[in-house]
Amino acid sequence: MSERFLLDRILEPGSLSVRFQPVIDVTGGETRPHYLEALIRGPKGTSAETPAILFEYARKKSKESIVDRACVRAILDEARALPAESVVGVNIHASTLAMDGRFVSFLADRLEESALPPARLVVEIVEHAPPWDVRGFQAALEGLRRLGARIALDDVGLGHSNYMMILECRPDYLKVDRHFVDGCHRDFHRRAVLSSVAQLARPFGARVVGEGVETAADLATLKELGITLCQGYLLARPVGVGRFTGTTRPVTRPEDDHPRRANASTGS
Amino acid sequence: MSAERAPHRQVLLLDDEEAILIPTAKYFRGLGCTVDVAREPEEAEALVSHRRYDLAILDLRVTRFGGTEGLEVLREIRRRHHATSVIVLSAYVSDEVEDEARSLGADSVLRKPQPLPDLAHLAFILMGGTRE
Repeated sequence: MSERFLLDRILEPGSLSVRFQPVIDVTGGETRPHYLEALIRGPKGTSAETPAILFEYARKKSKESIVDRACVRAILDEARALPAESVVGVNIHASTLAMDGRFVSFLADRLEESALPPARLVVEIVEHAPPWDVRGFQAALEGLRRLGARIALDDVGLGHSNYMMILECRPDYLKVDRHFVDGCHRDFHRRAVLSSVAQLARPFGARVVGEGVETAADLATLKELGITLCQGYLLARPVGVGRFTGTTRPVTRPEDDHPRRANASTGS
Repeated sequence: MSAERAPHRQVLLLDDEEAILIPTAKYFRGLGCTVDVAREPEEAEALVSHRRYDLAILDLRVTRFGGTEGLEVLREIRRRHHATSVIVLSAYVSDEVEDEARSLGADSVLRKPQPLPDLAHLAFILMGGTRE
């Protein structure tokens, strides 16, 4: 085992692997992929192979930006093999957008290299915890919008994902954390939160994504509440890019892993 | 080597010296423990943010950083999982640092190097493990 810092291993080309998990549009009786969230795993054989530890480590080192850049490279490299109509999104730390003044141009360059039109990009903003430079954050959001990317606000309902963030981001998508989705069919209070988010989204012109959908009963409840974008093991598990080759319809065969974090999307 | 066994015990090791880290990890794995290794304090902190350990063996000074980083990890462990037993190791343990480590909740503060059987013996006592 190398004595190098873990960060060096994370940044080594080819060390990050990518899985894609669709966000599914369940409007009506149909189910079709709306976009694919790309999930990153760190270098094999290291503690950072577990995504939560990879990103916690990046935060502890204050290296979110450099790790986000590495994730973008890995995701867009893989995305080249996705069907042409695929929309690819990436999870980006709010602090990266706020503090890395060159991030948007970096992203634009990588999109050009991978021949992915920015309109086929969803940027999921994660870990929106202050303190960070609000002006820098706003400038980055403006840059992303000018570029033509869509914005998703992740983990709505948790931590710092508050009304102020919704105002700042004017997101196209509000992703409601699995905590509120899991068991919503039998919990009045969870349904009340979901209903409130669905209502809040309307005047913003945003769509709500229910994360962590694992039962048909929860899915039915989400649909009743008007939440028609859903993600979770019930609908599709994370899969490697090979599963999408030649089709936009993801294969839902189980994978043995359950990665979280980092993000890419297909067809809207 | 004694016939100590602690199946499914979760152990975290923090040390930046490979010559210590690798044999220690191997030794505890041989005793039935699941071992995570960290070479940097931030890596150890990230691990304890997401996993629970029965025991953490922390090098006080992670050389490349030059301070008492092991104590930062100890703080993080105590902030999250009070049940984790913690052994702090250091080649240079002043009374002051030992007092600080103990006040932060270290169960034991030992000088490096420690013979692995002795370290394991103490570890198993702290973890409430069995000796055959």
